[in-house]
Amino acid sequence: MLKKYVPKPGRREYVTFLLLAVEIILFGILAPNFLTVDNLIRVVQNNAEIAMVSIGMTIVMLLGGIDLSVGSVMGVIAIVIGYMLQAKVHILVIIITAVLIGIAVGFMNGFLVSKFNIPDLIVTIATMNIWKAVIFALLGGKWLTGLNPSWGAVTRAKLLGIPVLLILIIVIYAVFYYFLMYRRFGRYIYATGCNPQSANLSGINVKKICLVSYCISGGIAAFAAMLYIARMGSVEMTIGSDLPIACIAAVTIGGTGAKGNGKRGSVIGTLAGVLFIAFLKNGIVILGIPSLLENCFIGTLIVLSVLFDAVTANDRFKQGKEAAL
Amino acid sequence: MKKMAFSIAKSRTKFLILLLVAEIIILSLISPYFLSVNNLMQVTQFGASLTLISLGEALVMIAGRDGIDISVGSVMSLSGVIFGLVVINGGSIFTAVLIALATGAVLGLINGLLVAVAKVPALIATLGTQYIYGSLALYLTGGVPISGFPDGFKVLSLESTFGIPNQILFVIIPVSILVFILIYKMKFGRRVYLMGTNPEAAKFTGIKEKRIRSSVYILAGVLAAISAIINNSWLMTARADAGTGMEMQAITVAVLGGIAVAGGSGHLGGVLIGVVIITMMNSGLQIANVNSIWQLATLGLILIIAIILNQLMSRYVAAVEKNKE
Repeated sequence: MLKKYVPKPGRREYVTFLLLAVEIILFGILAPNFLTVDNLIRVVQNNAEIAMVSIGMTIVMLLGGIDLSVGSVMGVIAIVIGYMLQAKVHILVIIITAVLIGIAVGFMNGFLVSKFNIPDLIVTIATMNIWKAVIFALLGGKWLTGLNPSWGAVTRAKLLGIPVLLILIIVIYAVFYYFLMYRRFGRYIYATGCNPQSANLSGINVKKICLVSYCISGGIAAFAAMLYIARMGSVEMTIGSDLPIACIAAVTIGGTGAKGNGKRGSVIGTLAGVLFIAFLKNGIVILGIPSLLENCFIGTLIVLSVLFDAVTANDRFKQGKEAAL
Repeated sequence: MKKMAFSIAKSRTKFLILLLVAEIIILSLISPYFLSVNNLMQVTQFGASLTLISLGEALVMIAGRDGIDISVGSVMSLSGVIFGLVVINGGSIFTAVLIALATGAVLGLINGLLVAVAKVPALIATLGTQYIYGSLALYLTGGVPISGFPDGFKVLSLESTFGIPNQILFVIIPVSILVFILIYKMKFGRRVYLMGTNPEAAKFTGIKEKRIRSSVYILAGVLAAISAIINNSWLMTARADAGTGMEMQAITVAVLGGIAVAGGSGHLGGVLIGVVIITMMNSGLQIANVNSIWQLATLGLILIIAIILNQLMSRYVAAVEKNKE
């Protein structure tokens, strides 16, 4: 009985997985060293932040919002972590501070969006620029280098030949899948995204949902910052500037629609989208396509996937209308 | 006193002029150099590209349905680069201008088709095209600015007539007047506003929504292309990053000028005063030797404050009017 009300990843996610399979086969044929274990592990390591941040982005976009500030937020947190590492602060303190900063920053976005009803885009575009300036102020034009956090060993380790990082990401995605699909709060997020008015009337505190979602997004950015430092060992000025677009691309390819798009999608689709973007970036490098065009491909993918969603949604809308008449 | 506060809250123009006067006083206190004729003329040059782009952005927002165009900056970059390439490859300035304008129109048309015909959310569609256009511009130049324009091209932006910079006198003022006539004296403008205030009613009055909405995006693209040409002449180079951050400034100016993000209300006159305020602020910060990254952060702050102010003022006006009844 209950099963009926629990949505499963729908056809849209299968489309993403199909695309992913086609992409892997295509690159595998075109570039012989694409399908090697070493390369695949490198892809996972290089895109761990995108994988993390995309979870938060999925939640925010399920609500019909968008968060352009995640990249700069991750940058600010990474710098704070870097300074604390240099000051040899205890690892637990570092982690707790990082997550708290992330949640506080997310709270700020969520507060402005829910309390003042400012469109998400405008709030996050503004906070993005504010955090960029903060990054500049904190770094003062220098790079933070030689950072070697103790969690770096964990992210590079392997368990039975499988990178721990990959296992970690899959576990986190599983947790969020469970949370969004089977917990009350997760269902509230879908309900609010589908129709805020009716969600409000049915007793859901829409503003609180929005606020908490942004806090989750910020908190996740803290973990992404930790992964970034573990991977790079340094922080530079442009940190995270390409992150939002990659995450938005992953989420839209994964089938989570933006405003007015039926509010479908799940983190499973997002995971497929992340892998799609990750392999695409890798394939572009391996095939020797000019890297200046990388953003062009990602932008085209975003446009094509929202176009696909819009066209199919329109069809469904028309059918519904005819049925009603 | 209360009466005055009410009239200021009700009339955007009064409020903006007050803000402008306050700003001029503060800036001239900071630097005596600020109020010199020379500096003021220079300031207008800084605002030249921003004026047209903001008018386009404001129109897109007025036309409603969560209309926003994040790609304007990239449209400016790409059409400027194409202008440069035509000139470098032996085309005359006249052909280059025509091709650049056509480029702007086509790029705007792509946005318009996505948003108006395919009904893709404007935010995501233009975010995608922003990356496509921007990375194409980078790819075409290879990251190196195009220079080597003929000396005669300086006439447009580096010389002045009657002490007024040429691009202001011969481009910005006439084009702005044309846009104002189009919006406030012709059917087109009334239709754009109606689409923003009440899309349903607009539909029933037989407005061809797809056509008008696409035209608005095309107009925004053409205005961005004109800005690109002015900018090229001013710098005597075509840069792939000419429009970077322009969308942020344009959105800030539009919101500050009183354009409602939900569409349908706000006057382009307010946008023009907004341009003056923002441009003066940027120039003031430059005189005070503040890094440009802080200018963006200040813009972000102003954007948030302006939008909160918009809501507080409209709430205040509503409350006072209710009391009167």
